[in-house]
Amino acid sequence: MLDYQYVCERDELPENTPKTFEVDQRFVVLINLSGEIFCIEDMCTHDGGTLGDGQLDGQCLVCPRHGAKFDVKNGKAMCMPATEDTPSHTVRVDGTKVFVALSDS
Amino acid sequence: MTFASTPHPTTTKPHDDTELGVMSFDDNGFSRFIERRTEPTWLTARRKEAWAIYESLDWPNPRDENWMRSDLRGFRIAKFAPNIDESVAIPSTTPVRLRTVTTASGTDAAGTEVTGTHANGTDTTLEVSGSLQSVNGIVIAEALDPQLAAKGVIVGSLARCARDHSKLVETHLHKTINASADRFAALQQAMWSDGYFIYVPKNVRVPLPIHIHAAMGDGQVDLSHTLIVLEDGAEATVLFESASPSDQANGFHCGGVELIQRSGSHLRYVNLQDWGRNAWHFAHQRASVGRDASLQWTVAAMGSRFAQVDQRVELVEPGATSQVNGVMFTRDKQHLVYNTLQHHNAPHCRSDFLYKSVLQDRSRTVWRGMIKVSEGAQKTDGYQRNDNLMLSDTSRADSIPGLEINADDVRCTHGSTSGRVDEELIFYAQSRGFTRSEAVRMIVTGFFQQIFDRITIESVRDALGAAIARQVRQYE
Repeated sequence: MLDYQYVCERDELPENTPKTFEVDQRFVVLINLSGEIFCIEDMCTHDGGTLGDGQLDGQCLVCPRHGAKFDVKNGKAMCMPATEDTPSHTVRVDGTKVFVALSDS
Repeated sequence: MTFASTPHPTTTKPHDDTELGVMSFDDNGFSRFIERRTEPTWLTARRKEAWAIYESLDWPNPRDENWMRSDLRGFRIAKFAPNIDESVAIPSTTPVRLRTVTTASGTDAAGTEVTGTHANGTDTTLEVSGSLQSVNGIVIAEALDPQLAAKGVIVGSLARCARDHSKLVETHLHKTINASADRFAALQQAMWSDGYFIYVPKNVRVPLPIHIHAAMGDGQVDLSHTLIVLEDGAEATVLFESASPSDQANGFHCGGVELIQRSGSHLRYVNLQDWGRNAWHFAHQRASVGRDASLQWTVAAMGSRFAQVDQRVELVEPGATSQVNGVMFTRDKQHLVYNTLQHHNAPHCRSDFLYKSVLQDRSRTVWRGMIKVSEGAQKTDGYQRNDNLMLSDTSRADSIPGLEINADDVRCTHGSTSGRVDEELIFYAQSRGFTRSEAVRMIVTGFFQQIFDRITIESVRDALGAAIARQVRQYE
């Protein structure tokens, strides 16, 4: 059973603007992708740095340092220099509230 | 022989928020801090200079080279309040893990019965020549063998010694750490609460270790400073241990270490960092090693949620040697960052840095080491190495050795290895009757053996072994 934790209100997430939150001492990025909310770990698997300041390129979040791209829907690494996926987390929107269940990975 | 013991006077009441307001690391907090201290004018002036630097700086950010692999987003200084008293009352129920310390005469170094057990339930004893104990960065007890005191050795609270030995402390304090290095360095120099001062005069040998125990309560702050000065030909061993009341304790430690060694002195300094796993640990640590002096510095980093340590050894005169042994053993979501520098600033010096890390769970270590050889530092012999053993798929070790050489007759070598536990080794051990868990423990122990082999003092080896044992998980 997934352990959902409240993160924010839905209207705190403007469309196509990544936003970073701390959940259980982990930092995650929430992305409102054309109305649908996704959540991935705020960590580029290339250098361990943050992704939260990156820009969206389609459905990919681009690392602001070296340009690695991660699919916001599943955390998949889409191009070099990242070769490993970043963890993705399950999102539940309950009315106006956004909840996230952290994955173990 | 009974050692003189000087328990420090304590205030009769804890901080009264109605009288003082809730203290913060801001202008008001700093003013209150200064008002309540009784100390020499030179020190107050220095604190004010450092506070001005603190206010002029921003918090480090990922664009700074030293902080590029650090994650400070969870750190909020507003959650913590500074210690503004020079001494504080300690509730007798404070559940602090203490190390049982006995002096050569068999009496407790603090002069009172100190019974303590490590988290693993084993009592330990250590014969000492002197000791210091602190809670939340304030020294509460100090002791020294009177024969050493008669020879001019000083072991005491840094705040007290700044008054009682003002000239001596003024000469050395914060001379090797630049307050502008970052905001944590400035904060520590402005608001250090107390600390540990050890002074060994010329040609005096301290026969047994000097033990320092620093405890920090859950959610508390420790802004202490360590200043150790060895004059020509002096010799000492110092064992520093830090601890929190529980494994998961929070806290904010922002400290400094200065080891000043004159010609021909020999220092063994051991630092076992075991703060609670939710504590924030920041430190600037420096050593300055003089002509033909030797330093053996052993670091064990076990605790804290996040640690950023800037460790530098300056070899300032010909013939100086230093050996630094580092053990990092992490678990859960710990993130430890060590930036080290071995600076050869004179010819014919030798430095040897060995850091070994074992990582479990989702933990992360960063080691960024640099050998710097200044112009004219010929016949330098510099070595640095970092080995990482990862016990989980989700741990991460960043290892960045570096060389900056401005002399043309030197030998400098560096290396780094990172890898997983070899499954074939585990299989072999299991084929000989060990469980998987036992096999992994053996491999971890073997991995650290190289460090143990370098430590010649049995009590120090025991302390390090106990710290490692506490950190090892049951592996399945």
